[in-house]
Order: sequence, then structure tokens, then C-alpha cells
Amino acid sequence: MFLHALSRGIIFALQSFWRNVWLSIATIFVIFLTLVSVNFLIAVNVIADSAINVVKERIDVSIYLKPDIQESKIAELKTRLESDSQVKNVVYRSPADNLADFKAKHVNDEKIKETLDSLNGNPMGATLIIKAKNLKDYPVILRTLEDPILNEIIEEKNYDDNQLVIDRINLIASNIKRVILAISIIFIIISILIVFNTVRIAIFTHQNEIAIMKLVGASNWFIRFPFVFESILAGLFACILAMFFIYPLLSFTQGYIGGFFGGADFNIISYFNANFFLIWGAQLLGIIVINAISSSIALSKYLKV
Amino acid sequence: MIHLEKVSKNFQPNVNALSDITLHIDAGEFVSIVGQSGSGKTTIVRLLISEIQPDAGEVEVGGWNITKIKKVQVPLLRRQIGVVFQDFKLLPKKTVFENVAFALQVSGAPRARIQQVVPQVLNIVDLSDKLHRYPQELSGGERQRVAIARALIHRPKVLLADEPTGNLDALNTKDIIELLLKINEFGTTVVMVTHNKEIVNSLKRRVITLDRGLMAGDQRVGKYVI
Repeated sequence: MFLHALSRGIIFALQSFWRNVWLSIATIFVIFLTLVSVNFLIAVNVIADSAINVVKERIDVSIYLKPDIQESKIAELKTRLESDSQVKNVVYRSPADNLADFKAKHVNDEKIKETLDSLNGNPMGATLIIKAKNLKDYPVILRTLEDPILNEIIEEKNYDDNQLVIDRINLIASNIKRVILAISIIFIIISILIVFNTVRIAIFTHQNEIAIMKLVGASNWFIRFPFVFESILAGLFACILAMFFIYPLLSFTQGYIGGFFGGADFNIISYFNANFFLIWGAQLLGIIVINAISSSIALSKYLKV
Repeated sequence: MIHLEKVSKNFQPNVNALSDITLHIDAGEFVSIVGQSGSGKTTIVRLLISEIQPDAGEVEVGGWNITKIKKVQVPLLRRQIGVVFQDFKLLPKKTVFENVAFALQVSGAPRARIQQVVPQVLNIVDLSDKLHRYPQELSGGERQRVAIARALIHRPKVLLADEPTGNLDALNTKDIIELLLKINEFGTTVVMVTHNKEIVNSLKRRVITLDRGLMAGDQRVGKYVI
């Protein structure tokens, strides 16, 4: 009996969807535009996030060690740093590497060249380049290096130079996140209101039909289900349409976006593909829930006959 | 079949749509309820289909006490009473067949029964050649016949007709009245609300007259007197 009524409701919904095709198209189009806006916001969010991450990735702290330190002690320090949960990785650069770098950097400076030649051996020590998992972890990591025993082997730390940059990046990143969150909330509220009103208007045009259905003895459920199903259907079509619109748009803009990242590995389409079910599933579920609730609320006004 | 006991209904303070109305209609009767606009005729129909509740008194239709009916029971009541309206109240996006079938579908009737019964009823109202037309493709008389077919599909014991000829020309009016009389002959109680003097006088059936919400007359073989 229930399945019978359910299948009848689905048939009524499909019939109504087709027979009120212009109303259906208008409803789908408004939901489609809302979804495009939501996806645009997602893309902006992802781009901003990735841009911040690219900058963060380029920040590290170098520890310059004294030239006469034994390799075993350096290896011991490296292992100690790597075991720290806040450290992402530690790269070792030998004194020879540092000297080669220095020479390459000052290849045209004769005075430096002469000074280096007059010295007996390599005056440079090894370097450990530390990358933290999080920007905020650098001060903590460096605090561990304040150990007096370590001071005997560390010549210099360049963290102070980076401190200002890190603080600024942290501030910008948190501000951007706050702005995006505020925009997202406003966008979501506007989207819900738009969809709610679109569904309400669509049902308003059916108010006489609803009254007639009530007068011939239809139960509230029997009237409600086809309308709710129809609005879910509109949401589904709008979602599919948005998908077919967003991907070519992302593909078109990828070339421009890629340029901003200066060779860093970022692809907005890959992000959308990797999070396909999360992005589209959430949107589909959201639109279905909003449509179902909107149509139920809009209908209840006309079901009192 | 239909019983109203001291029924009153006010829509606005000091405006009595119905005042202390008591009337009884037996099974198989053909009753015309007449009166001028605002006399309370349509209010009685609205009470009988439980669209509104009385402020005082009791209303009974076919064993249902409408004053005590639960909300979930209202659809069940409406499936047992056939109603025909002046403005037809057909579903514009459904065909003639679908409009009539809808009244059966709401009660969960199986498809096979719908396919069998709907053409039969549409044949009675002489619309068997217009099954797949939409209401807007029909004349006023044809639309009213669809509405009657829909009202009859459940084989109701009571048929309420609220100004069924109000939007029709003389020829269609005659056809509809003949159809209602035919339905009454098969045993269905017919209650017709009208202010068409000619029809009421030609019927020579029971006439209940209302005047400003009060019972002004109840004649076994009556005439339109107001």
C-alpha cells in the first residue's frame, strides 16, 4: 500500500514537472545560479588557502653550526630535531655544500674570492634547515634549541630574520580565513533564502490545485509527497547542470590561476576531482534538504483547507 | 442522511452566516437550498464537507459527526461525499481521465480498478470521447460534467452541488440538472445549492429557503419564493 502510494506520488511529481515545464526550468535555473555561486566561493576558498600554504611552505629556519663540530654530533642533533612532533623535516647541508653555494653566490666578487683563497681549508660549518609542520610551531622548536649544551655547537640561527615575515603571514592568513568564513556564512544564508523563496513561489502557483486535492479527499501526505519530490528533482537537475558548467569554467581559469602560484603544484580541477563526492555530495544533500524543508513549510500553509 | 441541529456560524463578530439552523435530509431525497447571496447556502456546504466547523450545534453526514471529526478523518469523509462546485474545481494540468481518476487514486484504488471504473463513469456523463482532453479544452457544461463524474466515482451516498449551473448557459444548465436527477434516481441523496428560480420551480422537489442565515422556509414540494 505504502509503495503503491509512493510510486503514484513519483508519477504525479514527474507529470507535474513536465506539464509545468517553464516553472520547472525557472526553478532549476535559480537553484543552478545559487549552486554556481557556492562553487565559486569554494574555488576562491581553495585558491586562497593554497596560496597561503605555498607561502608557508617557503618558510624554514636554518641553524648554522660551528665549523669544528663532529659529524656524529650533527647527526645526533638532526635525529633529535626530527623526533620532535612539530618538525616536518630537517635537511642537512654539509660545509662543502655551503662553501660551494657561497662561492656561486659571490662568483663576481674578487675580494671574497681572494679572502677564501688565503684561508686554509673550509671556514664554513654545516647547516640544518628545519621545516615545521605549522607556522606557529617555529618559536616552540627554536625554544628547544636554547639548550646551553646546544649553544656550544650552534653558531647562529636565522629565525629572528624570519620572525617578522612569519608573524605577518600568520596575521594575513588568519584575516583571509576570517573574511572567507564571513562571506561563506552570508552566501549560505542568501542561498538558503533564494532557494526557499523559489520553492515557495513554485508552490504558491499550485495553491488552487492543492485546495482542490484536499476537497476530493486527498490526505496531506498524498499531496505533499509529489511536491517535495518535484522540488528535490529540481535540485538534482540544478546540481547536475552546475557540475557541467563548473568544470569547463575551472578548466578555462586553471591557466590563469596556475600563473599566480609561480610553478607551485596547484590544480583547481584536481582539487575538485579529489573532493568530488564531498563537494557535490554536500551540495546535493544540502539542496535536497533545503528543498524538502522549504516545500514542506510552503505547503503546510495551503493544506489547512 | 444529513442532520443539522441548532447550527450557528459567524465569520465576523455580529455577522451571522448561519443562526440556529436545524434541518434533516433523508436518504434518497433531492433537496434545493435556496436564498440570496449571503444567506448562508454555501456555508452549509462548507460545513458538510468539514471545510469549516460550526461555532455551535452539531452536523452529521452519512453517520459522521462533523463537529467531532478528527483532522485525519476529514479526507475519509470527503471521499464519501461527492461535491460539485460552481467553478468546477478541476485540476488544470490533468486530463479529464486523470481528474476523475485522481479521486480514486487518493484512496489507494488499484490501477486496474481505475482503468475499469473511470471510463464507465465518464460514459454516464457522456464524455467518453474526451478522456485525454485538458479542462481548458472543454466547454463549461463539459467541465461541470467532469466534476460530476469525479464526484460520482466513489459512488457516494450524498452529492452536494454548490451552484452547479452558475457558470452555464441555459442548454448546459438543463443537461446538468437532468444528470443530477438521474443520479438521484439511482438512490444518491442530492443537495443542490442554487439561486436559479427557474430550475427550482421546475423541479417540484423539496426546497429549503435561507434568509440572512436564518431558516425562512422548508417545503416538501417547494418553490423559490424570495
